[in-house]
Amino acid sequence: MPSRERGAVALLALLLCQGVSVLPSIAKPALRVGAIPDQNPERLNRLYGQLADELSDRLKVTVRYVPVSNYPAAVSAFRTGGLDLVWFGGLTGVQARLQTSGAKVLAQRDIDARFRSVFIANTSADLQPIQSINGLTSLRGKRFTFGSESSTSGRLMPQHFLAKAGVSPSQFSGGRAGFSGSHDATIALVQSGAYQAGALNEQVWTSALKQGRVNTDKVRVIWRTPEYVDYHWVARPDLDQRFGSGFTTRLQKAILAIQPSTPRQATILELFAAKRFIPAEASQYKPIETVGRQLGKIR
Amino acid sequence: MALPRPSAPALALLPALALLPVLITVVAGLHAGGVEILLTCLAAAVHPSLDPALLTALFSALQVTLAMALAGWSLSLVLGVLLGCCASERLLQTWNWPTWPALILRRSLALPRSVHELIWGLLLLQVLGLHPAVAVAAITIPYAALVARVWRDQLEALDPTRLQALLQGGAPPLAACFTALSPAMGTVLMSYGGYRLECALRSATLLGVFGLGGLGTDLQLSLQSLQFRELWSGLWMLGLLSVALELLLTLWRRQTRKAQAGQRRLCLFLAGVIVAGMAGGLWLQVLLPDSGIVVWQGLALPDWRGLTQAAAELPWLPLIVETLLLTVLAAGIAIGLPPLAMLLAPSRFWQVALNPAWALLRLIPPPLTVLLLLLSNRPTLAIGALALGLHNGGVMGRLLREELEQQSVDQQQAMATSGASARLGWLYGLFTPRSPGYLAYGAYRTDVILRETVVVGLIGGSGLGWQLLESLSSFHWDAVVVLIGAYALITLLGEWLSDQCRTRWLQS
Repeated sequence: MPSRERGAVALLALLLCQGVSVLPSIAKPALRVGAIPDQNPERLNRLYGQLADELSDRLKVTVRYVPVSNYPAAVSAFRTGGLDLVWFGGLTGVQARLQTSGAKVLAQRDIDARFRSVFIANTSADLQPIQSINGLTSLRGKRFTFGSESSTSGRLMPQHFLAKAGVSPSQFSGGRAGFSGSHDATIALVQSGAYQAGALNEQVWTSALKQGRVNTDKVRVIWRTPEYVDYHWVARPDLDQRFGSGFTTRLQKAILAIQPSTPRQATILELFAAKRFIPAEASQYKPIETVGRQLGKIR
Repeated sequence: MALPRPSAPALALLPALALLPVLITVVAGLHAGGVEILLTCLAAAVHPSLDPALLTALFSALQVTLAMALAGWSLSLVLGVLLGCCASERLLQTWNWPTWPALILRRSLALPRSVHELIWGLLLLQVLGLHPAVAVAAITIPYAALVARVWRDQLEALDPTRLQALLQGGAPPLAACFTALSPAMGTVLMSYGGYRLECALRSATLLGVFGLGGLGTDLQLSLQSLQFRELWSGLWMLGLLSVALELLLTLWRRQTRKAQAGQRRLCLFLAGVIVAGMAGGLWLQVLLPDSGIVVWQGLALPDWRGLTQAAAELPWLPLIVETLLLTVLAAGIAIGLPPLAMLLAPSRFWQVALNPAWALLRLIPPPLTVLLLLLSNRPTLAIGALALGLHNGGVMGRLLREELEQQSVDQQQAMATSGASARLGWLYGLFTPRSPGYLAYGAYRTDVILRETVVVGLIGGSGLGWQLLESLSSFHWDAVVVLIGAYALITLLGEWLSDQCRTRWLQS
């Protein structure tokens, strides 16, 4: 090999070795707050920053907000330590805690202790308002859609109530239920008539009604489910070791202390569609775990 | 063999027949219920949100996406070329080595190739944690395997006489290979490699949903909350970036074609690829400073009993039939649509006008297409097939254009002067010589479509793809392993079939 080529090979080897420098050095600890958001990014980018600032001011640590829009990814990132504090749904929170022993439930919203889903139907689908749970049998043979496959209010609990009434997804038209991907998409698809009926989070339905995003001539509620518990804040077990003893308790207090008193805190509560946060217990989510196991979403 | 052998242009046009059943189903299910939302979405396309806060956020997300794409692209090209060389019987023969390792390597590459980037990302997230390396590896693994297949096929398809002549003249094998193969393979690398960059950009966008940053999260949230104006801001930004990258590559090709000799140009391209990869890696480190180091977090391996139990629980027949149907219909549309559209009017104006149409089809993610189609239709498999077919048709349209640009117009002009119509001239003079190459790309694209059935599974709720997502979201690892195995088997079968078809119909 002539020396010029040898030089080129050496240079290439040197350049390739630079790849090692891509491995970053260990940075100072930052509290990584994650959420599985279901709102538009324009609001999120503006509002979640405020939550990070609020927690950072109270706890005197760096707080970074990490948006995750994939449910299993959020659960896995929490388990492997990529996320320290996550705003989980009912089902995903239980999944995350089962996979991460010692994870702590910190808080929920005032509305989460008594959460509901609504079943909606296109007015042309010939579906009457349902009085008791057994009325769900009228959905047999209809085109029906859930929301996202891991959503508690858009899939798990609706499927649970359907099962209670003796309706399985294979009895819908086409032999299965659709999965629209989100609560808003469920409204749009049922309103358009692509699906004749669907189920979604009641809070999203109410706010869509308030904002005039629903054509009530085309789509209406046919049933409200009984109450169940949903969303909660879950913290990783090792926060006290990383940020000093008593940190988890301080974190919980900081979340519970968010009141509509300052503009920033009011904004945060508005983002979460809550009046305040209240303490929550892991035991409250036992029923969700049971339902999750029955439907095969928890193994 | 007495079997009838269709001519190559017919082979490339026949897949468009898939449009028939799909369009019949779609037209039969048409309704006007979702027109308002559809119109809102279309209006938003010309009137995207220009909110400064949103644009700033999108811009920083775009940087992360671009950095991931560059790193993944560069790594996958380098790895893919190396693997492709190892999987080539011809190269192994040059050194008088046994050829069976090549076959084993080639077949085992079907596994990484058959799993979608999104699924690779989720799997790697389990063992590596939330780290940018996850996204880069999730792009690299399936892409390297695909590049390896393309590279190997192209190596085998080359005319071997020059190589043999050099070897018999006593040249050492390495030098002989470089001298004989690099001119042709260099062209392949530069054209196919450039095209992979755009694919990497799309995959990197998709991988943003994991919380690593990147456009994916914003696009998905906008889609989920039906904020079409914000969605289009993101999509147009992505479109601008890919157009800019494409222009850069074309400009570079044009500049160097005159000034540089072939070998030197290839070296420059390779250096560019490696530098781009390192720049992407360093850039990621700057953009996401507190991502820490990669730590291997082992995962319990599934045992045999669990696997057999999971396999017994799944309804295999409908799953596989639906997946195959979706793949075949979508592949038919993707392969058949571009030549059909170009054949409609072979005028220069129409051919140029088609380019932005292909670009737009590539830009719009399949889940959005499914949602838009569903707004005025019923949920059927045809909708999924149409969405996948149109998206990949955009990719095939671009590949076909590049193929045709390399063809000299002599035959077309000869046919025109001898009185053939413009359409016939285009078909037999321009398209026919290039259709074997185009069909080969079509076969690779079918691989991609198979793994993309994961993406539209979301709305259709059908097929192996949806089942895979459902098992992943239930953390049912046994079922995930079995399903990935099924994907790999189908991919292998498809590879074998396309190899058979190619030897029977296109060669000999």
